[in-house]
Amino acid sequence: MVFEEQDETIERIAARLRPLPEIDPAARARVLVAVAAERERDRERSRQLVRRRPILIGSIGVALAAAMAFVAVLATRDGGSAPRVAAAPTTSVPAASPGGAPAALAARETGAGALQQIQLVFRDPNATRVSVVGDFTGWDPTKAVMTRDSGSGLWTATVSLPAGRHVYAFLVDDSIWVRDPRAPAAPDADFGRPGSVLLVGRP
Amino acid sequence: MPPLRLVPHDAPRQEDGSFAETRSLVIHAARAGDVRAFATLVDMYYARCLRFALHMLADRSDAEEAVQDTFVRVYRALPSYREQDSFEPWLFRILGNRCRTAGAKQRRHADVMEYGDVPERATAAGHDRELAWREEIERALRSLPVEQREAFLMRHVEGMSYEDMAVATGAGLSALKMRVKRACDALRVQLTEVDGV
Repeated sequence: MVFEEQDETIERIAARLRPLPEIDPAARARVLVAVAAERERDRERSRQLVRRRPILIGSIGVALAAAMAFVAVLATRDGGSAPRVAAAPTTSVPAASPGGAPAALAARETGAGALQQIQLVFRDPNATRVSVVGDFTGWDPTKAVMTRDSGSGLWTATVSLPAGRHVYAFLVDDSIWVRDPRAPAAPDADFGRPGSVLLVGRP
Repeated sequence: MPPLRLVPHDAPRQEDGSFAETRSLVIHAARAGDVRAFATLVDMYYARCLRFALHMLADRSDAEEAVQDTFVRVYRALPSYREQDSFEPWLFRILGNRCRTAGAKQRRHADVMEYGDVPERATAAGHDRELAWREEIERALRSLPVEQREAFLMRHVEGMSYEDMAVATGAGLSALKMRVKRACDALRVQLTEVDGV
């Protein structure tokens, strides 16, 4: 038989262990960044599934079109009506609108490759460390640490991005999350954190 | 530039109805994909999780990492969480697992520590009396086997019922009561003679 232990000594020990610890805002921010990265991986997996579907539908469409054409040819050969033209379904990726590109960005095409180098600029003369966090870095603040120009207080980083829509923000001194004020605000900002939209057009 | 929002973390030991109701709403919204609700859930439990991890691991960096891993796993597992189940035992089950994994890594690191290496904490001489007592308690706590330390913290620091502890640890009620009793016995022996405890 085990009896519940509750005496003065134990209560005094427990009382000293109960105060909640000081929270490091940067550590808490890293939790949300890690969860946002997990969420982005989920989204990417979903996007990959969606991307596969049109290809599958396209293949089926081509096969159906071929079958219809074959049937039509047979019909013609059999002396029927003229074959109809069956258009196979096609998939197309809408081109990104360049109108949404933020003024702070200077895009430079890298040739025929899919990735383009994009320079992100942020101004905060008082910051000691600034990182770019976005879906393209997996929301990891260590992937795109910005470089400071001591004279102007400008921070810059160059990231390689594929064409498409990207959401990003700046993490200042590992604790302050700021969206790019010169870019459109993202309506689907992660975890209540503000984000900005970056549209990268095709080269 | 607005700083990151921080809300009070001091969750009550005996939670009241409004806290439970708020938590239920937050979990429901988080399960439905509301990311702000998940951030609120982190705010509600971050400090308690960190307290438990700090006492289990005695290293702030390891504790913060264990808590971070915990919330990532909670996020992944939230769709499979059944709302009729108690949330805190479910959360502490994940947290306990992360702390045990981190503790095993710490022990492997300690095994390869060369003679002459001195852990950082050992060099911090505590002249402050209260700090010294706290360190004595932490030292005694660290001397306990992991299962006893975990059971003691859940019972006497987190204020969990034995039923909730059974969910959190996977151990039976009798085993948990025995672990808590042995932990109390060991702590009492180590600390009764220490003035001020």
